[in-house]
Amino acid sequence: MAIQDPIVEGLAKGWNHIDASQVSAPLTLEADVVIVGSGAGGGVAAEIMAEAGLSVIIVEGGPLKSSESFNMEERRAYPNLYQQAASMKTKDKAIGIFQGRAVGGSTTVNWTTSIRTPDHALAFWAKEKSVKGLSTETLAPWFAKMEQRLNISKWEFEPNRNNMALKQGCEALGWEYTVIKRNVAGCWNTGYCGMGCPVNAKQSMLVTTIPAALERGATLVSRAKVAKIEYHQDKIFGLKAQALSQTLTPTGVELLFKAKHYILSAGAIHTPALMMRSKLPDPYGIIGKRTFLHPTVLSGALFNDAINGHSGAPQSIYSDQFVWQNGAAGDLGYKLEVPPVHPILIASKTLGYGQSHADLMAQFNQLQVTIALVRDGYHPDSQGGQVELTDHGFTLDYPLNNAFWEAARRAFASMAELQFAAGAEKVLPISEGMSMLSSWPQAKKAIAEMTLAPLKTIVASAHVMGGCPMGEDPKMSMVNSEGRSHYFDNLSVMDGSLFPTSLGANPQLSIYGITARNATLLAQELKLKS
Amino acid sequence: MNRRTFLVTALAGTGALALGVNLYSPSYVGVNKHLNSEHQLLFSLLVPVFLDGALPQTESLRVAAQNRTIDAIVATMALLPTDARDELEQLLTLLESRLGLLLLTGSMTPLLLRTPNELIEMLEKWRSSYLDMMVTAYQGLRELVVASYYACPEHWGRLNYEKPILFS
Repeated sequence: MAIQDPIVEGLAKGWNHIDASQVSAPLTLEADVVIVGSGAGGGVAAEIMAEAGLSVIIVEGGPLKSSESFNMEERRAYPNLYQQAASMKTKDKAIGIFQGRAVGGSTTVNWTTSIRTPDHALAFWAKEKSVKGLSTETLAPWFAKMEQRLNISKWEFEPNRNNMALKQGCEALGWEYTVIKRNVAGCWNTGYCGMGCPVNAKQSMLVTTIPAALERGATLVSRAKVAKIEYHQDKIFGLKAQALSQTLTPTGVELLFKAKHYILSAGAIHTPALMMRSKLPDPYGIIGKRTFLHPTVLSGALFNDAINGHSGAPQSIYSDQFVWQNGAAGDLGYKLEVPPVHPILIASKTLGYGQSHADLMAQFNQLQVTIALVRDGYHPDSQGGQVELTDHGFTLDYPLNNAFWEAARRAFASMAELQFAAGAEKVLPISEGMSMLSSWPQAKKAIAEMTLAPLKTIVASAHVMGGCPMGEDPKMSMVNSEGRSHYFDNLSVMDGSLFPTSLGANPQLSIYGITARNATLLAQELKLKS
Repeated sequence: MNRRTFLVTALAGTGALALGVNLYSPSYVGVNKHLNSEHQLLFSLLVPVFLDGALPQTESLRVAAQNRTIDAIVATMALLPTDARDELEQLLTLLESRLGLLLLTGSMTPLLLRTPNELIEMLEKWRSSYLDMMVTAYQGLRELVVASYYACPEHWGRLNYEKPILFS
């Protein structure tokens, strides 16, 4: 059965796409709006700007891929679709970070979980971070709009066995759980969302807003890395970019983008890094600081029956039992989810080598994995990390302190209790020195005594937020509550870097909804000016 | 695996090279440095240790899986960002020089002359070291080797895993 490929079809009928790797001489392009990045923020902004009749250029550092090239193998997906071939780590190597790098950004490779911004986060931002106008009520129509646009609805299928274990554990213990809403249409339920959807069911930016913008005449420039923002006084007057080769190294060809308005949607690492490289004014030293990850710890469990965690919707159940239990500013809470189980992902995020590792991998199909995403950025001792520039790019310094480790220990205990309650035979907290635990009482004792430390405990993250926070007070924010720069008339930020804290929830729908609001307000203003 | 098998396996497909050649190459050993430009020999020693128990039992299949993994490692390294690749290159270069070995392992004995158990001892020391540099060296090599091995569909048989066939 042939699968419709909107990218291949669109290119064939004449969309404006420039693959910068093929550009051999310097190029200057001009439009009403230039958007840097094509992920959750850039994609939504591009569609709204183009719909408003404005001319748009989308500049993306990664390649333009389509379902044609999504072959459900990690060895192709990671180098093609992820930042640093999915091997990105924090400065001390203690946290592995998964972030998308292709047209569609992380939405091309995420696991489809769609959650509105939690009330607790919005209330905290309003009270503590000078954010105005973003409440559950004011954002509701924007979330509703994006849910409709991206086919976001509750996943009504039976959860796969991996997610079912989370549900059964919660039911047995009387813990809260929720059926996840997913952004899919005509999903085949194969479980390969993280490698690019091979059937174009996932309603990522790659198959929704970017094609819609291109249909309306927008220009997409892929494999172009914006290196510097050029400005004078309170105006941005251009973006300098480097064309990248097929392997994403600079070819030496320079590109220049000029616009009436510039939108940075490069994500919570690259937006601040670009601002820092360009030496934008930052009188209060805010850019790149308070970057948040939802640092995540993992618990493996062996079941007697086949879990087949690679098959079926990767995430369809979550539990918020422990996220806000101590209040927003109290001890760090954690969200319980399950990740899909694929060979490289699991081989690299487990411990050891040789026979013990081979034995664990041999039980691959019996392995259930639960993850706890720690809600960072609210407690005074949870200041997140800091983006720093290096000779070749950037690094993220993200110290893991006691406040985090205390949450991690509680999370390991919750995950083990949950997995045993769901019928696990054995549970393995993924941290050096731990062995398979055979019962909840044994696990409880072992987890209370286990050593937790950077590089000893596996910590990962697929959510990067903050670093260019919004708010009305310039002493704690770089942009206002509509994403407009405090320092430049014609600069906006529309991505996860806006968030003053982490969310305590998977970020894609928050970025969609808040960007839809801000981009609509901006488009109205730009149209009035033109 | 006895020591002789280990050495033979390690050398299969990579040619006769010597680690530690910078300072230690006996004059009668002909070394073609070009053949080792991508650290194949070093990985031919480390791969069987990291993947003991995962590699096929049959020798010809095992050698093929090791060589396939080494090819995948070289391909993976080419994809790493500059900073990460530079760090890894530094580590590999240290492991290929006797002074580097002394620094990292406390012994100048070339890795080629160490038994599998001695290599395991070396990895375990790094793994549990109080020095972050040692732990990250262990983790970097471990992740590179296991990820490269399990990247290859031909190595998925033991997992009873295969990707779905969507289109015929």
